[in-house]
Amino acid sequence: MADIVTITIDGQDFQVPAGTNLVDAAKMLGTDIPVFCYHPKMEPVGMCRMCLVELGSISVNRETGEPDLDENGEPVVRWFPKLQTACTQKTYEGMVIRTTTEKVVAGRDDILEFILTSHPLDCPVCDKGGECPLQNLTMAYGPGQSRFVFTDKLNLDKHVPLGELIYLDRERCIQCARCVRFCDELVGDDVLAFHERGRRLQIVTISDPPFDTKFSGNTTDICPVGALTTTDFRFGARPWELDEVPTICPYCPVGCNLSASTRLDRDTGGKKIIKRIMPRQNEEVNEIWICDKGRFGHHHSRSTERILHPMIRKGDELVTVDWATAYAEVAARLKKYGDRTGFVAGPALSNEDLWELRKLTRLVGEQRQRGLWPATMSGIEAIAQAGAGVGTRVQDMGPGGAILVIASDFEEEAPIWWLQVKQAADRGVKVVVANARGTKLDKYAAATMPYAYGDAVAVMNGLAARARSRKKIARSLVESRVDGMDALIDSLKGVKVPHPEAADLLLDADDLLIFAGGEGLTLAQHGELMQAAANLLILTAHVGRPNNGLVAVWPGANVQGAMDMGFSAETTAALLDDPPPMWFIAEADPAGEDVRAAEVIANAECVVVTSLFMTETAQQADIILPGQSFAERDGTFTNGMRRVQRFYTAQGPIGDSLPDWKIFAHIGRQMGGDQPRISTGLVMREITEKVFRYADMGYPNLARVEKQFPDVGGDDLYYGGTAYTNTGGLGVQWKTNAEHEQHRLTVRPVNVDSFAADGLQLIPVRVLYDRGMWFRVSDVMDQRVPAPYVELNEADAAGLGIADGEQIAVVLGERTVEVRARVNGKTPAGYALLPMRLSDAPTLTVPAAGVVQKIEE
Amino acid sequence: MTHILLRDLDIPDIWQFDTYVANGGYEGLKKAVQEHSPQEVIQIVLESNLRGRGGAGFPAGRKWSFIPQDAPIKYVTVNADESEPGTFKDRQLLEKNPHQVIEGAMIAAYAIQAAGVYIYCRGEFWDLAHALEERIEEARQANLVGENVLGSGWTCDVYVHLGAGAYICGEESALLNSLQGLLGQPRVRPPFPAQIGGGLYYQPTVVNNVETLANVPWILVNGADEYKKIGTPQSPGPKIFCMSGHVAKPGNYELPLGITFRELIFEHAGGIRDGKELKAILPSGASGPVLVATDEVLDTPLTYEDVAALGSTLGSASIILMDEDTDMVWAAAKMTHFFKHESCGKCTPCREGTYWLDRIYERLLRGEGTQHDLDMLHVVPKQMAPVTLCALGEFAANPVLSTVTQFPEEYERYIQRSDAPHPEMADAMSTVTRGTTGEVPEAVAEGGA
Repeated sequence: MADIVTITIDGQDFQVPAGTNLVDAAKMLGTDIPVFCYHPKMEPVGMCRMCLVELGSISVNRETGEPDLDENGEPVVRWFPKLQTACTQKTYEGMVIRTTTEKVVAGRDDILEFILTSHPLDCPVCDKGGECPLQNLTMAYGPGQSRFVFTDKLNLDKHVPLGELIYLDRERCIQCARCVRFCDELVGDDVLAFHERGRRLQIVTISDPPFDTKFSGNTTDICPVGALTTTDFRFGARPWELDEVPTICPYCPVGCNLSASTRLDRDTGGKKIIKRIMPRQNEEVNEIWICDKGRFGHHHSRSTERILHPMIRKGDELVTVDWATAYAEVAARLKKYGDRTGFVAGPALSNEDLWELRKLTRLVGEQRQRGLWPATMSGIEAIAQAGAGVGTRVQDMGPGGAILVIASDFEEEAPIWWLQVKQAADRGVKVVVANARGTKLDKYAAATMPYAYGDAVAVMNGLAARARSRKKIARSLVESRVDGMDALIDSLKGVKVPHPEAADLLLDADDLLIFAGGEGLTLAQHGELMQAAANLLILTAHVGRPNNGLVAVWPGANVQGAMDMGFSAETTAALLDDPPPMWFIAEADPAGEDVRAAEVIANAECVVVTSLFMTETAQQADIILPGQSFAERDGTFTNGMRRVQRFYTAQGPIGDSLPDWKIFAHIGRQMGGDQPRISTGLVMREITEKVFRYADMGYPNLARVEKQFPDVGGDDLYYGGTAYTNTGGLGVQWKTNAEHEQHRLTVRPVNVDSFAADGLQLIPVRVLYDRGMWFRVSDVMDQRVPAPYVELNEADAAGLGIADGEQIAVVLGERTVEVRARVNGKTPAGYALLPMRLSDAPTLTVPAAGVVQKIEE
Repeated sequence: MTHILLRDLDIPDIWQFDTYVANGGYEGLKKAVQEHSPQEVIQIVLESNLRGRGGAGFPAGRKWSFIPQDAPIKYVTVNADESEPGTFKDRQLLEKNPHQVIEGAMIAAYAIQAAGVYIYCRGEFWDLAHALEERIEEARQANLVGENVLGSGWTCDVYVHLGAGAYICGEESALLNSLQGLLGQPRVRPPFPAQIGGGLYYQPTVVNNVETLANVPWILVNGADEYKKIGTPQSPGPKIFCMSGHVAKPGNYELPLGITFRELIFEHAGGIRDGKELKAILPSGASGPVLVATDEVLDTPLTYEDVAALGSTLGSASIILMDEDTDMVWAAAKMTHFFKHESCGKCTPCREGTYWLDRIYERLLRGEGTQHDLDMLHVVPKQMAPVTLCALGEFAANPVLSTVTQFPEEYERYIQRSDAPHPEMADAMSTVTRGTTGEVPEAVAEGGA
């Protein structure tokens, strides 16, 4: 803990931690110091000079250590003769500032006048108008009249694309460098820079492709003027017309809190639509940042390709029907096939959807085959035991902590977690990356643990073996409440430790957080990896407290919730192995993503889907029920750190679509189930009663908010940017067994078998910008989505006579997919990396032997 | 007199290693390394009261003493980014007496136990920098630089780095940024260069001017007491005065600090060109306030404290003389344009203030100035100078404020006339500032550099 010091702001004494940035300290104490360049998430640079204050120190007698007193008995303050910038000051004992004197106000007036001399007067047509820090501070400071001769203003380019997503208006830029510093310091992407100097100083992009970062949209939030605008929103609406609806990103397990800015819009005939997606502050989750996929991937909520009505296949034709007909027809089929129905839940169904689907599965028979898509990762038991402690915040971790990221291309799979872990590495957290190939996080890692695909479990098990041999086993925990110790310890004897030095970085840390992905693992291996991680964490007592434990980098926004509601990837795998005649697939596209699933579904007798789009799966369906996107309904998602978070209805429905939970409930009613609930809140109430981990997840609890630092939104736009204040709720995390004192924990030996490497192995990998069923319609992201490709090792490519950039064929059983070859030195020999959801044709979701070949002429 | 710094005037070949050594060269370094502890060297320089010759006049020994001794990596950086208008002393030292600078830098490096010395040369010192590397190699061959210097067990190499032509990189923290490959913009201080986090590669660093270091070998050889016999108690030692402008004999003059302007100008530099009257003096290039050449000024001793008492600054002692025919508005415009061109743009008041002033002067030179413009010449510099990030903003205010207050009638004449007294210069200012091709290169206009 930092020492507490006394500082005086405008005559009032305050106690603050020593070394706090003065602007932050003042803000926390309720005093506004205006800034343009300073941002509470970044290091100060003292560029804009707006934060001028009178600064002094209480004069202290060197001999007595007591303050010198004047004739009135007041402490003598030694003032700096000139105004000082507050952002470059850190609090210290005896610091005295004045923020409201004439001198200070005059100094700020002067700076504002200078800024305005080069700023255009285009507020009436500026996208930032209405939420602009410069506009707001001009109301508070600066001369009412311009003394700068108008014709002296520079006329510069106003529509400079810095990439496909962000435009720069050079006239509006006030050279605060927030965008440059965000990319450089926080993200580490060297993509923006200053060019030239003096009045010519200007922002340029220095990367190819331009502005090549997954976080570019955040620069528009922290831009204190309208210089940076997004392709998605620019000239689209005025901020004061927008209704803000709290929502949650439907794409990845981070669960970023978003605000959907909505408006009744001409483009949709006066219907309400999302005009833009903005970050919503949740310091427990995404802070004030979101990735570009979350920001620009919302167009599926209003796509013209959406399915508008329920449809039933009659011969070769799909016939539009009303809901009652559809419900009756689905119920009839379910009655016919009974528990010979395979249910598959998509990765971003809400908990309420999942609960109602679960109830439906109970109505069809005893088997209750509840599958989950994609069927790539498992290990809910490991999470339930050793999941990251409640209150875990990577942002809080310091040099005593360590983070292991294993089997994940982290930035592609969970961008904001990547950002937080990267920043943790900058702060001295020991970040260790274990993967079968190089990823972007390696550069920031304290150590890497490379392994061959198939050996991830062995690496994790090796860490436990190292903990054993170094006597790092936490006796008190283990002896009091852990089962299965002896068998595990026996199994660890003689186990090889692949990277002992990197292992020790992790084992010697006070806090240990593990992020486990699923890249290059079979489903069975993934389960073993998760158990191996839980073994390690329990053995070393890195469970049950914040910043310790296991986080799965799930392949979707609510995979955690699906598992919590009893759906599993193992069931899907079993269903694919022994296909039932009927499939009920909710908001997932197995046939579009996986060749094996495509084969099975094509041969099914009956397929019912809920879907937003005519996916490959929907095209195979006998009955198609139009579901709703995250924008049209409300519900909850559970993120990868088990935080249950609410999202709210942002717009009206598209066509006759209904939320999935309602569809399932109505079908269930036809099957003799309950009367459908009238709201998601009531569905959640039922969940709280039936699912013990969700006992605290009632909507009022989930909607709780508290004041967060830094303060964003409201009048403080100049300070934190235009991220929105959280009014929708911070969410609640469910406790792991480790956090329930009465629960025992279980460890067990794991199976470390690799898969048989027979010829070229195709490894499906996740890429952030894909052609997944929802994201593919995001028109502004078009150019960021790569053409379908396969990554090959140079030697393998040479052996096959394949050149970089060549269009080649990947043979997947009886199907062939044409993709472009990327030949590089990063792919390990013997493996080909095949991104999921990039091709229009199905590929792979789990590793498999495969053939890559030249296309015959 | 015998020169201490400009020894090439006495010994033309002193740039050659053998000549330098034959004339007592590297004795200071040997004495420091072989007879003194690093602390003692700092003490000697402290006692000599050698003040920094780059402009600020900060005592060199104190600067060295700020370096935390227990820091594992420390550096010495030689500021050879000599860019102040009218300053050309470091160039002569580096060209004609380079070993003395290298020796001084090595003594400083020994005093703080530096891991390396970086000589940051302005971009235009292209030839000089390459020659300097040859001189360093000679010293390296003689074990005066590099590994295990003079058998002391202390290793320190010397590197030369060329800037890319920016005045701001003479500012020490911008210099360090530039040296690190970053944008040449000043840093927020604290931390200061001597502190951890503030120096080169964020390690404690001494940044000294070329001329400052050129004094050091002599001090080591002859002692602090001898040194203090030169100059005045508060400003001891010899100083190179760079004489330019309307002076009869322009050039570098090495003289003890404390001689008067009158002696310097009329006894040494041959007085004013073409027998004209002296009107005004810029004692420190473009960055110090202009002094009207009164008797009081002329009889002022050239020391840091005496020139400061006149309301100006001795700076790097680049003394530019202006005769009776000089148009002070034109002169101020030229200097303003210089600062506008050289402002790094990092902080608002300097970036916008210098631009604003430049626009006003352009109008004045075109004969389009107004009373409002004149008023603004009083306002803008005062509004800019006290709140800028580095001293450039203060420098830029000086020529404007000191001329507009001391030569108001010349400004009045400008706003009263309707002709354009200096259209060529106004045009030049205009194209540089606002020309269609000048402002944004095409590639940049499209978003890429």
